[in-house]
Amino acid sequence: MRIRCPYCGERALEEFTYRGDATVTRPGSLEPQATGAWVDYVYLRDNPDGHHREHWHHSAGCHAWLVVTRDMRTHEILAVEFARKEP
Amino acid sequence: MSKRPLHALSALAGIAVPGRFGKPDGEPSVMIGELSGLGLATVASRQGQDAALKSAVLQAYGVQLPESSRVAQGSAVSFIGYGPGQWLAVSESLAHEALAGDLSQRLAGLASISDQSGGRTVLRVSGPRARDVLAKGLPVDLDPRAFPLGSAAASVIGHMGVQLWQVDDTRTYDIAVFRSLSQSFWRWLTASAAEFGYEVSGQN
Repeated sequence: MRIRCPYCGERALEEFTYRGDATVTRPGSLEPQATGAWVDYVYLRDNPDGHHREHWHHSAGCHAWLVVTRDMRTHEILAVEFARKEP
Repeated sequence: MSKRPLHALSALAGIAVPGRFGKPDGEPSVMIGELSGLGLATVASRQGQDAALKSAVLQAYGVQLPESSRVAQGSAVSFIGYGPGQWLAVSESLAHEALAGDLSQRLAGLASISDQSGGRTVLRVSGPRARDVLAKGLPVDLDPRAFPLGSAAASVIGHMGVQLWQVDDTRTYDIAVFRSLSQSFWRWLTASAAEFGYEVSGQN
């Protein structure tokens, strides 16, 4: 698997570190009534049969955080973008 | 303070010994030399200052800051892009910490400058088999079709973090490694080059 970093160009998988699901959003509240939202955020994951957005770190390259859209069935990389909009 | 309090010493002093090594017959097809006494500094753009930083660098050093992983060579200072908004500045004329001092003065308020002169070892690897040596540990294709003149890369060689850039179009590459990894990197490099025969030059 190779990932086309928007800064460095196409690079080998060994330069990247997988972080996880890029579709979940950290809850803003620390109040007890937000426990359900936190359980969702920390533990519950979809396992889609198809496209998935995930965070990758170009840890051995430019150190940018990336959002990679990957096909879970074929590992085809469909899109790579900076996680931060203005790098 | 009129004297340097610490004497600058290469991390490869006594290790990168000049001479011919590896395969004993034929012309050496890999040349290795340490570039010592360079000024090295990282330049990180402050938030919202990208455009102002670019014009300040152009005015001060006559160099267009590269927006991707490329090297822009200037007459006094070269800038190597190694991440969004981040560059490694390299200079022969502004040696040691003089480079970071000069950058801090000319780019005040636009970028954060950190002296790296004592933190990195820079090696120049060249020769007809230089690419074959590096291909053993570097997951970046250095073929000119994939890595044309002016290309640079932040990557790993044998799991050691490196910054690498192409100096000219004659298969000459400069490689910066963290100083504390210099000896490990030297062992990797010389073991990889041994089958081709390599020559270590004196201090540049």
